[in-house]
Amino acid sequence: MAMMAPFFKYGMFGDETSLVVAFLIGIGFGFFLERAGFGSARKLVSQFYLNDLAVFKVMFTAIVTAMLGVTYLGWIGWLDLSLVYLVPTYLLPQVVGGLILGAGFVVGGYCPGTSVAATATGRVDGFLFVLGIFAGMFAFAEVYPLVKGFYLSGAGVAMTIPGAFGVPYGVVVFAVVLMAVGGFYGAGLLEKKFATGATE
Amino acid sequence: MRNWMSTLTLNQKLAAGGVLLGAVALFATPYPGSRVTLDAKELALAVGTESDHVEAPELAAWVIESRADYRLVDLRSEAEFAQYHIPGAVNVPMGNLTDAGLGRQEKLILYSDGGIHSAQAWMLLKAQGYKGVYMLKGGLEEWKDRVVFPVLADNPTLDQRSRDERLRSISMFFGGQPRSESAVAAGGAGGPGPAMPSGPATAKVAAPPSPAGGAKPGPVKKKEGC
Repeated sequence: MAMMAPFFKYGMFGDETSLVVAFLIGIGFGFFLERAGFGSARKLVSQFYLNDLAVFKVMFTAIVTAMLGVTYLGWIGWLDLSLVYLVPTYLLPQVVGGLILGAGFVVGGYCPGTSVAATATGRVDGFLFVLGIFAGMFAFAEVYPLVKGFYLSGAGVAMTIPGAFGVPYGVVVFAVVLMAVGGFYGAGLLEKKFATGATE
Repeated sequence: MRNWMSTLTLNQKLAAGGVLLGAVALFATPYPGSRVTLDAKELALAVGTESDHVEAPELAAWVIESRADYRLVDLRSEAEFAQYHIPGAVNVPMGNLTDAGLGRQEKLILYSDGGIHSAQAWMLLKAQGYKGVYMLKGGLEEWKDRVVFPVLADNPTLDQRSRDERLRSISMFFGGQPRSESAVAAGGAGGPGPAMPSGPATAKVAAPPSPAGGAKPGPVKKKEGC
């Protein structure tokens, strides 16, 4: 019998086990963030000074690895991609949300995941950042009735690049790989050019 | 070739590997999609040899034995499912068929009111590579006529008597009641027929059907999202 994923959707484990799985994946995620040096705000923000683009490289490598894995697993029939949950697309609200998150990243020096990793290693700035996240969530919940109209504006169905532009799936995969490799090359050049140790 | 390879750094090798995998992925079709391919001959054979369906009494025996090696799929709407369904069935309305998470390796018994929806669903699932798909022959209509409200002979011969006894106990198990040949003849074909039992099946003699639905809830929708 062929192994079929997603395991949860095929009922190979239930809700309780899925929490354990989520916990283990979370621990692994945090471990590798910390090992990559992403528990430090200095390391994270140096990508904005263009002298250390490790964040860009690590994240894009993770994206390409996951994308190729999912593509091939789907292709050979071990993973049913139609059962993989896609977040519904609310184009404009998500663009605004991305900008807010990016601004917070530049100002605070962390993104949500790395702030938790930093807190786990005892960094005070990471801990304050997490407190800020909760304060922001609370504030958002309070003003939600006012922004609900905008928050839910748009189609609200999951849009994919192959679906929206009618491009074959494989072409998108190849394009993203080329984009990553080109990006890594460009990042190397930028790092050389801005290698001044400005943030040290 | 070897020399040239050894001049590359690990990162460059990984990048080259990534580009290669990406290039091969140009031809990937990872989504099964909604297009289907059918092996007409194989399907025609299955239909011709009648190996594509299960008869109502056979299914009744499986339910009574509490066999767990199959999944019974009710293709009707949620409302109809709530009103009555064969014990152990899960509700998968036709529209949700392809994203209901039915296992391709599972033994699936499909049923609907008559035979049309289950036959259509059978075809779709077969086309998508589902291996063990079967239909309940005649659907709920036949289930009702042959299992829940079987017709017993008025003046049974010795042979018929033991058969009738078995039918009666099966019928009682599913909360139904046997009908006599004469009553069916008098009622004619136009009558609405007896109401389906709504309580869950028990081995005891069932109480008269109550209007409130005693049906088990459908499959729990699993949580999704991040």
